Amino acid sequence: MSAPTPLSGDSAAPVQSLYEARKNIHVRSVSGRFSTWRWALVWITQAVFYGLCWLPWNGRQAVLFELAERKFYIFGLIFWPQDVFYLAVLLIIAAYSLFLFTAIGGRLFCGYACPQTVYTEIFMWIEEKIEGGRNSRMKLDAEPMSARKFGLKAAKHGIWIALGLWTGFTFVGYFTPIRTLANEVLSFNFGLGPWETFWILFYGFTTYGNAGWMREQVCKYMCPYARFQSAMFDHDTLIVTYDAERGEPRGARSKKQDYQAAGKGSCVDCGICVQVCPTGIDIRDGLQYECIGCSACIDGCDQVMDKMSYPRGLIRYSTEHAMQAKWGNKEVFAHVLRPRTLIYGVILALIIIAAGAALALRMPLKVDVIRDRVEQAREDENLMIENHYRLQIMNVSEVPQHYLIDVSGMAGIFIESERSVVIPPLTTQSVSVEVHVPPASGKKGYNRIYFAVKSLNDERIAVREKSNFLIP
Amino acid sequence: MKQLTWVLWPSFVVAGVAEVLFFTLIDPQQLYLFGEPVDWSRMTIYSLGFFALWATCAGSSMLTCFIQRDAAEVNSCLVAAACKDRVALRR
Repeated sequence: MSAPTPLSGDSAAPVQSLYEARKNIHVRSVSGRFSTWRWALVWITQAVFYGLCWLPWNGRQAVLFELAERKFYIFGLIFWPQDVFYLAVLLIIAAYSLFLFTAIGGRLFCGYACPQTVYTEIFMWIEEKIEGGRNSRMKLDAEPMSARKFGLKAAKHGIWIALGLWTGFTFVGYFTPIRTLANEVLSFNFGLGPWETFWILFYGFTTYGNAGWMREQVCKYMCPYARFQSAMFDHDTLIVTYDAERGEPRGARSKKQDYQAAGKGSCVDCGICVQVCPTGIDIRDGLQYECIGCSACIDGCDQVMDKMSYPRGLIRYSTEHAMQAKWGNKEVFAHVLRPRTLIYGVILALIIIAAGAALALRMPLKVDVIRDRVEQAREDENLMIENHYRLQIMNVSEVPQHYLIDVSGMAGIFIESERSVVIPPLTTQSVSVEVHVPPASGKKGYNRIYFAVKSLNDERIAVREKSNFLIP
Repeated sequence: MKQLTWVLWPSFVVAGVAEVLFFTLIDPQQLYLFGEPVDWSRMTIYSLGFFALWATCAGSSMLTCFIQRDAAEVNSCLVAAACKDRVALRR
């Protein structure tokens, strides 16, 4: 909330803003152990994202969330809107994984795998290749516009936009078959409809805007996770920590100086940790919600410590307890297993096992029984009672199926209409069924009956659905 | 700019969630618009539906922004408006 301001008589009272005006952060690039990890994850996640949509499977796209047909294909699995249960389970698994990883390692997802981090990393790499390192970029930005500056900026934004559009195209390619989409884009013939084009541009420019312009602001002002992370942290959570006891009092010194004798700590106050920080914070001020746990400051500081021939780890992954009690790595790892992580872990494991079992036992056949509401019941020429039903039979498998329909639940019950039906793969067919019952075999009113639909191709495929038979 | 972010961003997120929930449960081809079955393609309905939800949610966010201003801010506007009137009267 903005601070209350005194009401002055004749002018609008100045309102204190919640946020300071953004200063452009010129991030210095860094190399080291954690940077290598992050690049490995950039490669893995992007190879999957840009590549998976081109992978064929059974003559179709292996992973396709075909919105127009309301069917999701993930390799051999096909999900229909009726399978929304699995979507809910997937979200629960994602949430518990996030709880577990955050409790153990802090913002691992943010620092290494979040698309915002990954694309920012790629975009910053492009920026550095075109405009040069941190100092050249700062100089360039301070310069007045010139042909050279314009050329560099145009090249950078051109490549950024091209990459953004490719990302947008790939993204839409997960919802519309990507080969069709590619043909349409290449021939400028947008037969599928203008919306695909629109969403390619929308997602493309969102990528360009978020990774090129917004960057750390997305994490600081837009990301809800940054705000509730503290709910999952405890004193044994690994966080990027500056060892103030070892580092302070900080100060510049010559490499040869015996700094301990001079009353100085290990921190040479070079400012590298601040320069490499993508969110522009100073980790030496302690844990801040802006810290995305990317460990760039650890890599930067380790390099400086190496140069000074000081031991590494002035900034390191550590926990609050470890800092207080001066634990080594062994004690820190021993505290990874604690009630909180065990509970998260057990719940997560149970949900994954249950979901896996449900998926493995999933029936590739679904049947909905709908009573004919127009004519509830009538007497046929043999004085039998006749009820009409519509069976919506969904063949969820990828092969045609020959089904046999049966009815049971009352004495002498039988189906007079066609009982056998062949349904093509991934198709829903509505089948009209006439059921006859001798009037004496049930009570007046509704009687419980069961429809059984079983496949003649595969006896494991069978479904039993209940319904009611009306005797007037 | 910050106000715009506060209005457009949370509404975008919530509209995305609402879109998934709504269209998972309801097939857009079974919808009726002004008593007529909707004959647009699913992609069109999904897209338009998303923008309708986004606009609705943005309206809610805008109201939140509007009514969360504290007394000082509201009063400063009142006074500013009154000042303008006084200036106008003097002329």
